Amino acid sequence: MMSHEPEPSPTTCGAPLLQRGFDPYRDNAGTLVGIAGEDFAVIGSDLRLSLGFSIFSRDQSKLFKLTDRAVLGSSGCWADCVSLNKFLEIRLKTYGFEHNQPMSTKAIAQCCSTMLYSRRFFPYFAWNILAGIDEDGKGAIYSYDPVGNFERVPYQAAGNSGPQVLPFLDSIVGKKNQSNPDKAPITKERAINLIKDIFISAAERDITVGDGTHIIVITKDGLEEIRLDLRKD
Amino acid sequence: MFMTRSEYDRGVNTFSPEGRLFQVEYAIEAIKLGSTAIGIQTSEGCVLAVEKRVTSPLMESTTIEKIVEIDKFIGCAVSGLMADSRTMIDKARVEAQNHWFNYDESMRVESCAQAVSNLAIKFGDNDDDGTAMSRPFGVAILFAGIDEKKGPQLFHMDPSGTYVEFLAKAIGSGCEGAQQALQEKYHKSMTLKEALKEILVILKQVMEEKLGVDNVEVATITKEAGFHMFTKDQVREVIQDI
Amino acid sequence: MSILAYNGGIVIAMKGDGCVAIATDRRLGVEGRTVSIDFERVFEMGPRLFVGLPGLATDTITVSQKLRFDMNLYELQENRQMTPKTFATLLSGTLYEKRFGPYFIEPVVAGMDPKTNEPYVACMDLIGSTTETVDFVVSGTAEEEAYGMCETLWRPGMKPDELFECISQCVLNAMDRDAISGWGVKVHVMEKDKVTTRYLKTRMD
Repeated sequence: MMSHEPEPSPTTCGAPLLQRGFDPYRDNAGTLVGIAGEDFAVIGSDLRLSLGFSIFSRDQSKLFKLTDRAVLGSSGCWADCVSLNKFLEIRLKTYGFEHNQPMSTKAIAQCCSTMLYSRRFFPYFAWNILAGIDEDGKGAIYSYDPVGNFERVPYQAAGNSGPQVLPFLDSIVGKKNQSNPDKAPITKERAINLIKDIFISAAERDITVGDGTHIIVITKDGLEEIRLDLRKD
Repeated sequence: MFMTRSEYDRGVNTFSPEGRLFQVEYAIEAIKLGSTAIGIQTSEGCVLAVEKRVTSPLMESTTIEKIVEIDKFIGCAVSGLMADSRTMIDKARVEAQNHWFNYDESMRVESCAQAVSNLAIKFGDNDDDGTAMSRPFGVAILFAGIDEKKGPQLFHMDPSGTYVEFLAKAIGSGCEGAQQALQEKYHKSMTLKEALKEILVILKQVMEEKLGVDNVEVATITKEAGFHMFTKDQVREVIQDI
Repeated sequence: MSILAYNGGIVIAMKGDGCVAIATDRRLGVEGRTVSIDFERVFEMGPRLFVGLPGLATDTITVSQKLRFDMNLYELQENRQMTPKTFATLLSGTLYEKRFGPYFIEPVVAGMDPKTNEPYVACMDLIGSTTETVDFVVSGTAEEEAYGMCETLWRPGMKPDELFECISQCVLNAMDRDAISGWGVKVHVMEKDKVTTRYLKTRMD
C-alpha cells in the first residue's frame, strides 16, 4: 500500500521548518505637525523617542534645520530618518558649491522626493513634512509618504498621532464643515498656539507623545525656536 | 636638440618644459578654422547668430545645425568640429533635464557651462564608462540663456573647458574682426532688436560668402518666449532691415 | 483588514450639562463599495437610552434585536425602565457569552438615568469589557480621528445646543478623514424631558 502521509522534508529531516525573517525596520514613533501661513510656516515635533513601550529619549527633536528658510521633520524609523537627513545635507552642500546659491524650498521639496523614490524597493521608513518659505516669500508645507509621493498643502500632521491631529486641523485651520467660516488667513501667533495645544492634546491619548515639543517658526528673517514641556508619563 | 613643439605635442597628458599642453592649444587653434558664431547679451534677452558654410549648391543647408536648444531657457551656438559638439550638446541637455528632475527648476546657464566643462576636460582619462575622449574636443561653445535671478547671460567655453561670461562674444574663423566690431558697437542699453540687427551686420562683414537666408542661423532666448529659432522668413525680415 | 472594518462606520457619544448626545454616520459599505446611505447603527432602546453598534453590520442587526428581546422581557418582568448602567451590564454579558466566537461590534451606550437624570456614556470592546467615562466615548473605524477631535473640542458643562455643535463637528471632521465612514450623519441629543434627533448635511464622497 502507498502511504498517504507527507514525506519528511530532506532538508529538515522531519523537524518543523523554521522560517528566518528579515525585519530591518523599527517604528520609533514621533509626531509632526506643520501649518503654513501667508508669510511664515510653523512646524513642530514631539521630543519622545520610543520603541514599543520603552522610551529611548525624552529630548530628541525630529526637526532638521536644512537652510535658513526650510526645516524638515522626519518620524518613523529613527535610523532611516537620520540617514536620510545626512544624505540630504550632502545634497544641499554640493548644490551650493555647484550652483552658487542655496537650494530653494521648492528645489529641496523635489530633491527629497527623488531621494525617497530612489529607495522605492527598500524604502526609508520615514514620514516627512517639509516646512519653509517659497520663492515668493509665502509659507509652504510639503507632505511626503515614505516612497516620495509629495504634495504642497496648507497644513499637515504626520507620524504616530497623525490620524488624531489631522481632522482637528481640517476643522480649525482648513475650516471644513463650517457654514460661514472666517476667511482671514491664520496668524503666526495663532498657528504657534494651535500647535502647542495639539501636542498637549495628543499627549493625553497617544502614549508615544510626551516629554516635550520642539517648534520652529520659519519667516523671511530666519528660524525661531520654541520648546514646551509636555506630560512625561 | 629638439625642435619646438616636436617632443611634447603628441600626448595630451604631458606638459612641455615651458608648462604648456600643446594638444589643448592646437584644439583652440582648430576653432579658428570653424565657421563664425556670435552671441550678444542684452537686458531683454540673448541673440545668437552663426554662419553656415554651404560648400555646394547641391547641399541641403537646413541639415547644418549650429544653434541648438538645450532647455527651454538655454541655447547654444557652436564652432569647430561639429561631430564633437554633438557629444557636448547631449551632455548639456541631459544635465539640464537631470537638474529639472531632481530640483523641479530650470538649470542656470552657468551650471550648464560648468557641467559641459567637466566633460571637456575629461580627455585622456581612461575611465570605464567610455564617456572620455582620447583628445580634447575641437569645439568652442557659446551658452546663451536666462538665469532666474541674474537675467540674460552669455558664456563662452573653449576646448580647455575654461568658461567666461561675456556681454558679446564671437568665435570661429571671423572672430577677430567680429570681436573688434562688437567692442565698438556694444552698449549696455542695447535692445534685443538692435542686437539682432547688429549681429547680422557684423556677421555680414566677416563672412566670405554673401549673407542670405540659407547660410545663416539666428536664435533668441528671452524670458517671455524662451529659446526661439528664427524661421527663414523671420531671418529674411531681419536681413532686409540691414 | 479586520472584520470590524468590513462595513465601516463611526459612533460618538458625549456628556453635557444635564444632557447626553450620540452621533453616528449613515454609511454601509462592503469594504470600499458603498451599499447604503441610510443604515441604522444607533438604536433607541428606551425613552432616554440609545446604543450604537458599529462594527460588522450583520452583528449590528443581530445584537440590536437580541437586546430588544431582552429589554422587553426585563420591562415586563420588572415593570420599570432599565437604567443605562443596567443596560450596559446586560450588553456586556451578552457579548461575553460569545467570548470565543464574538459578535464583531464595539458598542457605545448613551443615556440618562430614568429617575436621577444622571447622564451616562460607556463603550466596550467586542467581548464586553466596559469603560465608563466622564466626558465622551468613541468607537468605529474612524476611532482615532474621533479621539483627536473629541479630545480637543470637548469641555465640561456644555448645554444641549453647545453639545450638539460640538459632537457634530467631532463626527463630521473625524469621518471626513476616514474613507469608509460618512455619507450623512444622525445626531440624537437627550435632555431630561425630550430627545432631539437631527440629520446633518455632509459631503457625500
